[in-house]
Amino acid sequence: MNTSHENKYAVYLLTDDLLHIIYKKGPIIDLEAAQVIVRDRMMIQEGRSMPVLCDIQQVRMVNKPARDYLAVEGSLLVTALAFLIDPPVTDVISSFYLGTHLLPFPTASFTNKDQAMAFLTEQTKQQ
Amino acid sequence: MPNQDDFSMKRIQQMLLEMARGNFFYSLDPGAKNDNMASLIVMLNMVNEEIRASFVHQGFATAQDSPRYLIQMSLLLDANGTIEMANNKSCSLLSQLPKDLIGQNVSEIMTANTQKSWHNKLPKLLKKDFTDTIMPLEFITPEGLIISKDFHVSTFRSLDGNDQKILMDTVLFSKGEPIGKGLWKHALKISKGAKSPKVRLSQKDIRMIREVHDMILNNLDRDLPKLKDLALQMGTNEFKLKYGFKQLYGTTIFKFLTQERLRKAKTLTLHTSLSLKTIAHMTGFKSIPHFSRAFKEKYGRPPSSLRK
Repeated sequence: MNTSHENKYAVYLLTDDLLHIIYKKGPIIDLEAAQVIVRDRMMIQEGRSMPVLCDIQQVRMVNKPARDYLAVEGSLLVTALAFLIDPPVTDVISSFYLGTHLLPFPTASFTNKDQAMAFLTEQTKQQ
Repeated sequence: MPNQDDFSMKRIQQMLLEMARGNFFYSLDPGAKNDNMASLIVMLNMVNEEIRASFVHQGFATAQDSPRYLIQMSLLLDANGTIEMANNKSCSLLSQLPKDLIGQNVSEIMTANTQKSWHNKLPKLLKKDFTDTIMPLEFITPEGLIISKDFHVSTFRSLDGNDQKILMDTVLFSKGEPIGKGLWKHALKISKGAKSPKVRLSQKDIRMIREVHDMILNNLDRDLPKLKDLALQMGTNEFKLKYGFKQLYGTTIFKFLTQERLRKAKTLTLHTSLSLKTIAHMTGFKSIPHFSRAFKEKYGRPPSSLRK
């Protein structure tokens, strides 16, 4: 079953295997944005844990309160996380985020969507 | 003709200079481009935020006798947004002379984003005789440094009742010392617990305590081993672990554990339909009553009340 959802900051696509989140172009991700993003994600997941593919290619700024929120509250119900990035800006953002926050599940960044999906599949198999 | 990179380099240098002076409250706009310069600015902003957070936090958590310097930024506006008064510090923060700043419209020193929200919000504020609110605002200096902060915004009537006025006010922290006379006059001294710390922490100790911190965060559903065993496992002693953690994070290990468990539990309670029993279990609470009690103690109401 496929479900989709959209808010001001992102588009969500839920498939059988994973949740795909595509961040939209433009808005700065601050605490308020992070709270909306996490709230909607949880609503879609309906309490199930799953791997997440997070396309942040269009993101340009995530401030500290938002980073901290995403790392703690935002790490709930996630079994593995792959960032889809577009260097150099989102490369810096994802490495900085992953380098300053220790997340309780496997994470990696990719410029290629197929590789990102392969990583998530691999992680799901191992768990 | 100077190109865009030269322009950005100037701003980066300016920002680094401010950081070197102990002013961590500025930021830069990376723009919409995806190039090396933008990525450098993004990185600089994030590093700056981390430093700012760590020193303010440690300033209060470790509460030693080091004075912290506060900078007040206040602007008084008329109902059109024209600046009638700016305190001296606001002028230096915005690197403008008082004579240039006063008389200007406030939107001229705001970033484009803030201008938009300000123009939306202002008419609503002015509808009432008196309002008091908190708004996130961004101001920009002529050099392109951005001050992004929550401001207290109050609107009120002047004494004769004819005009409306707007007061914008916030406080920034600086690690730098105030320049000139009255060196420590306005510095904030922290009196509570202002004694020397119980343990001296080496770089290695700090790294170890951070590891414990991360370990707790990532194992919230599990019971914490006895501090004595945990210390042994980390190659230190209980005393150092206990007081070192308190010194570094401003709270005890067990209080931190409960606080982080509740943070997760609150999000799960609010945004999922999982049963409270499952949530209690996922966040390491032994039973629902135990979970409810701890939750109520922190948030003032039981978790079940968030579900109605």
